[in-house]
Order: sequence, then C-alpha cells, then structure tokens
Amino acid sequence: MTEKKTHRIIVRPTGVELRAPAGASLRDLLFEQGVEFPCGGQGRCRGCRVRVLEGTAEANAAQRERLSPQELEDGWRLACQCSLGDDLVVELRQWDAAILVDDTPFHFEPRPGLGVAVDLGTTTLVAQLVNLSTGKVLAVRTALNAQARYGADIMSRLQFAAAEDGRATLERLIRRQIASLITHLMVSAKVSGDEIRDVVLVGNTVMHHLFCGIDVEPLSHYPFESNEIGLQTFRASELEWNLNKASTVRFLPCLGGFVGSDILAGILATKLAKSLENVGLMDLGTNGEIVVGNQSKLYCASTAAGPAFEGARISMGMRAATGAICQVQVEDERLVCQVLGNVAPQGVCGSGLVDAVAAGLEIEAIQSSGRLGNGAKEWTLAEPVVLTQNDIRELQLAKAAIAAGSRILLERLGTSLQDLKMLYLAGAFGNYIRRSSARRIGLIDLPIDKVTPAGNTALLGAKLALFSLDGEDGSYTELRCRIEHVPLNADQSFQDIFVEELAFPSSTHVRS
Amino acid sequence: MSIFDELQQAIIDGKAPVAKEVTERALGEGVRPAELFPNAIVPAMNEVGRRMRDCEFFIPEVLIAARAARAATDILRPLLVGDEEVRSAGTVVCGTVKGDLHDIGKNIVAMMLESAGFQIVDLGVDVPPEKVVAAVREHGANVVAMSALLTTTMVNMKAVIDALAAAGLRDQVKVMVGGAPVTESWAQSIGADGYGKDASAAVETARSLVAAA
Ligand code: B12
Ligand code: FES
Repeated sequence: MTEKKTHRIIVRPTGVELRAPAGASLRDLLFEQGVEFPCGGQGRCRGCRVRVLEGTAEANAAQRERLSPQELEDGWRLACQCSLGDDLVVELRQWDAAILVDDTPFHFEPRPGLGVAVDLGTTTLVAQLVNLSTGKVLAVRTALNAQARYGADIMSRLQFAAAEDGRATLERLIRRQIASLITHLMVSAKVSGDEIRDVVLVGNTVMHHLFCGIDVEPLSHYPFESNEIGLQTFRASELEWNLNKASTVRFLPCLGGFVGSDILAGILATKLAKSLENVGLMDLGTNGEIVVGNQSKLYCASTAAGPAFEGARISMGMRAATGAICQVQVEDERLVCQVLGNVAPQGVCGSGLVDAVAAGLEIEAIQSSGRLGNGAKEWTLAEPVVLTQNDIRELQLAKAAIAAGSRILLERLGTSLQDLKMLYLAGAFGNYIRRSSARRIGLIDLPIDKVTPAGNTALLGAKLALFSLDGEDGSYTELRCRIEHVPLNADQSFQDIFVEELAFPSSTHVRS
Repeated sequence: MSIFDELQQAIIDGKAPVAKEVTERALGEGVRPAELFPNAIVPAMNEVGRRMRDCEFFIPEVLIAARAARAATDILRPLLVGDEEVRSAGTVVCGTVKGDLHDIGKNIVAMMLESAGFQIVDLGVDVPPEKVVAAVREHGANVVAMSALLTTTMVNMKAVIDALAAAGLRDQVKVMVGGAPVTESWAQSIGADGYGKDASAAVETARSLVAAA
C-alpha cells in the first residue's frame, strides 16, 4: 500500500499549523478552525472565502462562477470547494466571534442539586452550570454549533437533514457536542455528573427537532408548521450522557412555525407575559423573531430578515471580530470609524453597517431611497473598507422584513410601535447596535429610552426554567395558550407593507 | 419633447396618473394604440430594467414604474383586440414553486415581462407541477418561468421540468428559472433552458428563448 502524502497548512491570522493527507477537504480542516459554511458547502454563498497566500489550490467550476477573475487572481478560494494538494498558507476571512453569555442577577426559589441551562443556537451554543440552591453560575462554556459545517442557516440545515442519513448525522453531532460541553462544565467546576439533576435546553424549532429526533420534513416547506413542538423529556441515560441516572433533560416547547423555545425563554426572562402594558421582544438574527403583547395576550412571528445584520452577504461584511468597523459616527461632516482591536480596518460588522448607513443618511451620502449619492457605485468608510450599492440594498431588505413584521404584529394587538412601553432586544446584535442608528434607518422607530438591550434572554430564561421545575414540568401549557404564532406568509398585507418599509425615513421624519 | 417621450418619462418616474393622461391625450391626437408600445412603453421598461440591473432602482421604484406602465396598457389593451399588427411577444406561464410563498420577485418579473409585450398567465404561489402542465396546455405557452427563494424548495423546479416531460410538452415549451438561491449552473444541472439573475435578465432570457424556438 502506498502511503498518502501529507501536507502542511498554516492558518493566518491565528498561526495554527495543521497536517492532513493529500485530498483532504479544506471544509473539514477549516471548520475546526472556526470557519463557517453558510450554504452548507454547496459553493453558492461565497461565505467560506479564504485567501491562499502561499501554495496552490485548484479553483473548480463552481469557484470560477462565484469568484471574479480578480479575486481568483488574488488567491481567494471557496474553502468548501477545495481539497488539499499542496502545502498552504491560508488567511481566514472570518474569525470566531465572542459569544454572548448571561450574568444577569435573577430571583429564584432554591432547589437542591445542580442544573445545566443550554442555549442551542443555529450558530452558537452556550451552556451554564448552575447551583440550584444558591443560584450561582459555577461554569460557562461556549462553542460554535458543530452542525454548522452543514449549513449556516436553518434552511440549509433542513436541506442537509433531508438527504440520506442527514438527520441522524445532525442529531448525533449535536447530542455529542452538548454532552462534551457538559463534561467540560463539570471538569472546570470540579463536580461530578451525579450531582446534576436537571438539564434545560432552548432553541428554535429546527434545533428542537434535530436534537429531539423529530422529523423536520414538515418544517422544510409551506406551511412550515410541525405538530410536535411540545416539551420533550429524556432520561440522561437514554442520551448516553454521563450524568445522574435519575436526571432529566428537557427541551422546552416551541411557539409555532420557526419560533422556538429560545423565544419562550426570552418571554420568561423579560417577563413580557406579566406586563400590564404593551411591551415587545425582538431578536434581530437571521430569522428575526418578534413578540409583542401584555399579560393577557402575546403575538409572535419570525420575519426571515436574512443574515445582513450578521455582516453576511455584505461584500466586505464580517463578524464582530478584530478588524471589523463596529461604530461609525459623523464629526464635522466626516466619518469617524471605530475598529475592533484598534487595528487597520478589514471589514464591517452588523452594528457598523447600521451605523454607517445612518451616518450616510445624515451627511446625504445615501438618499432615503437607498441610492448612493451622485450615482456612485460604492462609498468608502475607511480605506480599504467600502459599502457597495448592493450592500445597502441587502440592509434595506433585512430592515424592511423586521419593520414589516413588527407592524403586522402590532396591528393584531391593536396598537402601534410608538405606544409600546418598552422594547427588549435579545441576542448579540441587539446588544451592540446603536439604538439611535437603528432608529435613523427605520429599523426600530422608537426613542432610545424605550429600547433595552436585554442580552442573552434565551439563556437567562432557560436558567429561570431550571428553578421552576418543582412546581411545573416545563411544558408551560397555560403560558403558551396566551401566545399566538402569526404566520406572516399568510398575511395578505405583508408585501405592501414590506415594500413601503424598504425606503429609509427622510430626516424630517425622525424626531430626536 | 414628443408625446412618446412624455409617456416614457412618466413611466420611468412612476407617475401613473400622468401616464394615463398622456396615453389618453395621444389617442385623442390620433396616435394609433399599437404605436405606443414600441415607441414608449417597451423602451421605458427597458430603461427601468437597466436601472434595476445597475442598482439605481430598487424594488419600490420598479413597482411604481410597472404600475404606471399598467395605467397606460389598461387603456390600450382593449383597443388592440384583433389588431393584426401587434403580435404578443409570446405567452409566459409563471409562478412560485410548490412549498414556497415568496412572490415579490416573481411579481416583478411578471410585470416586466408583461410590459415587454408578453402575455402572462400567473399561477401565483405554492404551485404544484400539475398546475403548470395544465396551464401550458390550456394557453399554448411558449415559456414557463419559475421562481423559488428557499434552498428547500428549489428542487421543486426540477419536478416541474419532469412533469412537463412526462406530459409530452417538454419540447414545445422553454423553461426558465430564477430567485435568490438559484444559480446559472444549478439551472443547467436540472435541465432548464434559461436563467435570469434579475427581472431585466428575465426579459432578455424570455426574448431569446422565444426567438430560438
Ligand atoms: C420578504 C421575505 C419573506 C416574506 C415573503 C413575502 C412575499 N409575499 O414574498 C415572508 C415574511 C412571508 C417570508 C417568509 C419566509 N421566509 Co423569507 N425572506 C424574505 C426576504 C427578506 C426578501 C425576499 C425578497 O422578496 N427579495 C426581493 C426580491 C425582489 O428578490 P428576488 O425574490 O430574489 O427576485 C429577483 C431575482 O431573484 C429574480 N427572479 C426571481 N424569480 C425569478 C424567476 C425567473 C424565471 C427569473 C428569470 C428571475 C427571477 O428577479 C427578481 C427581481 O430582480 C429574504 C431575505 C433577504 N434579505 O433576501 C427572506 C428569505 C428568502 N426567507 C427565508 C425563509 C427561511 C423564510 C421562511 C421559511 C421562514 C421564516 N422565518 O418565516 C418563511 C417561508 C415563507 C414561505 N411559505 O415560502 C430565507 C431563505 C433561506 C434559505 N437558505 O432558503 C431568507 C433568505 C431569509 C433568511 N432567513 O436567511 N420571507
Ligand atoms: S460557498 Fe457557501 S459554504 Fe462555500
């Protein structure tokens, strides 16, 4: 037998050095290094671009279609389409971002033992080990969802699940990954699995189904409704998790459509269902979940904003990591950009994008139709980072989807945005976005004192659930009866409202 | 400015009441209905298509321009019935594939095709392959235009092509596909005859498919 030649890969900027046999796929190698594969490695989205600085990597037909001759010339390749045939030095376009954890103080009824709360996101996972008698967080662990190599967004994940063995693969990956996160938690807190009584997981409907082993086929096409969205309970032994035999693992119930238990947890965390006045919760991620209502009635929906707020599908977009322009302000008619890590700017992240467009509207570099002034094709933020006309269009689509979704829900509730007492923003983007800029671009037309960044409300809600398990089994039946899921695709007025919301507000409209 | 230029400008600017007024005035002045298409409406929508391709126009501008074009064509169509001189550019059956309800892009494509002189049979959203087959048969369509916006519903375009083949209609009709996740190479791989990145490309593709038939 001939032995396969091995090659060396040096990864920039991390400096990690890897060795792998010839023919190995760059996808598997680089996924371990935190590179994401938005379309699941189908060569469609360009999201997995890496730059080959030394060595050769063949560009196949898919890459020649997706990358310009100039980009190919400059060494850009789609990592998902390359296999190893040479020693390489590659520069990663994305670096993994800081994942939002939660350390909000909360009220609790003490219970004996330890518990684990898990926020199972499409992109990221966060797990916390909690002492149930003191409420103290003993350890925290974060990771990128191991399923993400098979597609960054839920639709690509569903598509992968539909293929032979796809669903089983995804289920196995995520169950194992969470088991290992819990093991790490126990090691760092120096406790044994025997002490863990309960594990509570929250996530969107697709994550719920893929973890629990439920068929996801109904979620892949119209009307995107599954009838198995309730609480799922497992014995730790069933999952082959190394915990106390009597300990229970619960995946909290979803709310309908793609709106999952992460949003149910968000409702618990922000106490929406206890509010006398009308309040709201928004998660400005790819699926753009929104909840509005009060103690007697809540409406929720997901609005499919797309990944623009995460910097994806933006020509120089990137995650909020070193080199990203994260803030843009106007001083004396000039742009002042703040770059994460105080290095030379390399790209722009979601909060920087929203800021930049707000600034552009202010100095009239961008018109309210979204058109760049003077018919320019691109606009320089800080050399070499530019926004193209198309980037602004992407942001318009995302913000219109959110704005239209909230208008429709608020109409159901019989109120308007201006009459909300408070709007909570869940998730990382909601935490970093400048509220005045969100208002300037018409994403959230509220004065900043009526908008509260609420952090990782999914994780906080999961923790709260851990403390309620003596009185309640985690099914939240009564609460769920008060929450109505509104499928926006069935709403006749959506298209008109969406088109209306595509433009940015003209400056006279925005009161400070 | 000639009356043709006036109508062209009104459409590009998206001014439906002006488009209606100019059309009526033109007819009053003795312009034949058939003349307004090649001299004003088609070039206006070509310009709208160009601006959309160059990112000058976005969805709202395209929609209001299409609305203005419709204000003119609504007056002209009844007058053209039986007019030998104006031949339709072809008949297009369009729709969003089964399982998918996204129709903003499909509607823009349909409007642009309509103002380019095509007869449109719009089957709406969540369209099963059988419905496409029936419509192609009933209307003797030249082109089928399918739209999909979801990775999970794209595959249903192939189902439409297969159903047309099974019904023995595949060589009578050209199939073009589009929508954000659809690419040229994917269109080829499922055996479609054409692909369009945006609505103006859709018009060009439809024209060349009809010409080649
Ligand atoms: C508006 C929107 C909706 C609206 C749709 C309203 C409507 N009546 O269409 C609502 C809110 C209902 C909706 C629902 C959903 N959506 Co949606 N939606 C969008 C959004 C924001 C914009 C799409 C759009 O209209 N673009 C504008 C039009 C003009 O562009 P276009 O369709 O691409 O069309 C152009 C070209 O492609 C071309 N073209 C189009 N068709 C054709 C056909 C031919 C023949 C040719 C030649 C050319 C051509 O010409 C057009 C004009 O230039 C996108 C995100 C984004 N930022 O793009 C998500 C998006 C498409 N949705 C998505 C998802 C997942 C959904 C839902 C499944 C989930 C959810 N959370 O609700 C549901 C399912 C709905 C259903 N049953 O199909 C995902 C798809 C991801 C994927 N990988 O598949 C996206 C990308 C957002 C995301 N989460 O990442 N959505
Ligand atoms: S192009 Fe989408 S993951 Fe590679």
